[in-house]
Amino acid sequence: MNMTAIEIRDLTKTFGPVKALDNLTMDVAEGEVHGFLGPNGAGKSTTIRVLLGLLRQDSGTARLLGGDPWKDAPALHRRLAYVPGDVNLWPNLTGGEVIDLLGRLRGGLDPVRRDALLERFDLDPRKKGSTYSKGNRQKVALVAALSSDVELLLLDEPTAGLDPLMEAEFRDVIHAERTKGRTVLLSSHILSEVEHLCDRVSIIRQGRIVESGTLAELRHLTRTAVTAELAQPVPAEIASLPGLHDVTIDGRRLDAQVDDTALGDLLGRLSALGVRTLTSAPPTLEELFLRHYDDDIREPAGEREPA
Amino acid sequence: MSGLGDLLRLTVRRNRWFYLAWVLALGITPVMTASAYEAVVGTGVKRDVLIATLVGNPTMRAMLGPPFDLSTPGGFSAWRVGTFTATMACIMTALGVIRSTRADEEEGRTELVRAGSVDRRAPLTAAVLVALGAATVLGVLIAAGLIAQGEAASGSVAYGLGTTLVAAVFAGVAAVTAQITASARAARGMAMGALGTMYAVRAVADGVSDSSALRPLHWGVPIEWMALARPYAGERWWVLALPAVLTLVLVLAAYRLEAVRDHGSGLRATASGRPRAKASLLSPEGLAWRLQRGSVIGWTLGMMLFAFAMGSLSGSMGDMLKEAPVLEEIFRRMGQDASDLVDAFYTAMLGIVGVVVAVMAVQLFQRLGQEERRQHAETVLATAVPRLRFALSHIGIAVVAATALMALVGLCLALPEAIGQGHADRLAQIAGAGLALAPGVLLVLGLAVLLHGWLPRLDWLTWVVVFWSLFVIWVGGTLNLPEWMKRLTPWEPLPKIPAEPMDWLPVLACVLVALALIALGLLGYRRRDIRS
Repeated sequence: MNMTAIEIRDLTKTFGPVKALDNLTMDVAEGEVHGFLGPNGAGKSTTIRVLLGLLRQDSGTARLLGGDPWKDAPALHRRLAYVPGDVNLWPNLTGGEVIDLLGRLRGGLDPVRRDALLERFDLDPRKKGSTYSKGNRQKVALVAALSSDVELLLLDEPTAGLDPLMEAEFRDVIHAERTKGRTVLLSSHILSEVEHLCDRVSIIRQGRIVESGTLAELRHLTRTAVTAELAQPVPAEIASLPGLHDVTIDGRRLDAQVDDTALGDLLGRLSALGVRTLTSAPPTLEELFLRHYDDDIREPAGEREPA
Repeated sequence: MSGLGDLLRLTVRRNRWFYLAWVLALGITPVMTASAYEAVVGTGVKRDVLIATLVGNPTMRAMLGPPFDLSTPGGFSAWRVGTFTATMACIMTALGVIRSTRADEEEGRTELVRAGSVDRRAPLTAAVLVALGAATVLGVLIAAGLIAQGEAASGSVAYGLGTTLVAAVFAGVAAVTAQITASARAARGMAMGALGTMYAVRAVADGVSDSSALRPLHWGVPIEWMALARPYAGERWWVLALPAVLTLVLVLAAYRLEAVRDHGSGLRATASGRPRAKASLLSPEGLAWRLQRGSVIGWTLGMMLFAFAMGSLSGSMGDMLKEAPVLEEIFRRMGQDASDLVDAFYTAMLGIVGVVVAVMAVQLFQRLGQEERRQHAETVLATAVPRLRFALSHIGIAVVAATALMALVGLCLALPEAIGQGHADRLAQIAGAGLALAPGVLLVLGLAVLLHGWLPRLDWLTWVVVFWSLFVIWVGGTLNLPEWMKRLTPWEPLPKIPAEPMDWLPVLACVLVALALIALGLLGYRRRDIRS
């Protein structure tokens, strides 16, 4: 992970009065699987479409595989494959025809790999585009993208229509791609998918990156849910300890969300009071994501931003 | 029928500009023609001679329909623009019904509606009712406008009501074709194909001599029924029952067909195809051709057939030459001052063909915009295909198909004369005449490319130019438009062969301007965002 596959600096894009991207800055290193998360309308697809040279930014810069995504689009596109979030196929072309067509337009595909993927995703290539279900349309786009030998995969919510079995297949395939050294930008809403696949994650909200880092780094930003039952009533001053949130005290029972920096301190205090039972839920990414997905609970940016 | 009220409101809301534009444009034409009556035909003996000649002229009959009583402004208008207006109104209702039925269904919008507490038949019913409503407003505009000019009330009502009912038939035709095919495109093609066939059949039936066995064929053509009800010429009211009954039958058939098919699919099940692509598909051009070939082949065959049918009328032109003196005055307007009647006929026909081929060219090109709206463009442009090549793959098809079709139509137009009278040299001459008008088509196409490149939201402006040209050719001679307005079409500078000699300068100039417009449009297309 030394070279940068995607380098975006202060990217801004407006559609009329709407600011879709607002000084967005992010990096994706070569060879990593990078999770791209954010609520609907946060700017994920807009970012990817700028990277594909379909949209032209108002200001800022984007570099893709060392080139300019706008000027060098055709040449760069030989080295990448894209799966849109909402796959629209030509109604009168079969899945097999679309896969061959897109492969050739990209500069060629590996027919052996194509057939293996078709089998793996259990896809009938003989059907016309208009007769595929949403999930099967998604599979057509995935097979088309994965059949080519490319350096970079841009995947915009690629599993949105897949059933759990196919989702598992998808994860296996992406794992295999990673071991081959491919770079993947994976936009997704499915947290378990991101936890399984991604080396690093960027969270976008309202056109800006609000968190970026490895999963371990992000976990440090989360709080542990602690529930304790003490030998005696919980003293009220516990609630005012720094790093404790959402504290409820009910006689000898304490529930609280604890910053990981405050965890040791709290446990020391509690054991001095005599602990009967103690449960602590491990930090989940979900909580972090939800915090960013929810507009109402916006943390002051400076406090929580690691980058 | 639950949900019908809401759906009616929705359909009106979504189509109000569409219908408003059509109804106003079509409603004005008959009234303006009537008001220009005296200026066109004059008075006294001159008028009588002119009318007698008009009545007997097969070319005029083929183009415009059967003349009955041209001695009143209303009767003249009903002949001169009545069948034309009714045919155009058919295009309005057919396109309108398909917009609100198959097009919405294809895009998945109907599914959302049907998931609500809405009767299965409600979307179709709303679409048909709104189209009928628009046709009714058009009929009322025509009748009221003519009555206001002092025309006989019964004739005016027959004229207006006839137009409404003929248009209603095509609301029914479109309701049926929307059930048969799974794509709006194919449904539109089928309805327009039916309309074109009807127009050709009635042109032949009206154009042949009075005693011909082909003449009664025009009774089988719905778009002729308004004229056959004889507005201002002793109205035959019972004729108007024909379109009313046919509309009812068609709409009931559409309900029946809708009941036996699945939502989202046509009547014909979609067959499986090949699991691997043929090599011919594997390029942007191959893809564009695959997407467009159905349209190109359909248009080509349809136009060739139409031209051949029209050309077969040229034989009866010889008889007309004897009465020539006044006829030449008519053809001064439509046939570009040709001394030979057959020449004038070819010239007039090719003038119309040029605009119709422009409709095809613009339609073929606008597939590029459809590909963008359906996000197919995004899929292709995310591969190594450069934008210019992607756009040119569709523009190229439009240019080649339109140019070739102009020559082919000329060929087919002259074919009956070449066979019947051994004038083989006519083939090359009239094919060349068609080709000489092709630059006008390219100019329209150039405008379409320019708009799509810089102002894709104003794509529709191209249609204004096309319909204006059609309007000028069809009724421009009748209306007292200022000369400069009549000249305001892309075909104006081009030589009208065989009435005029070939002139390379305007032909080459128009080609160059068209290419410049296309290049300019491509420049914009390369710079702008691809919409999602």
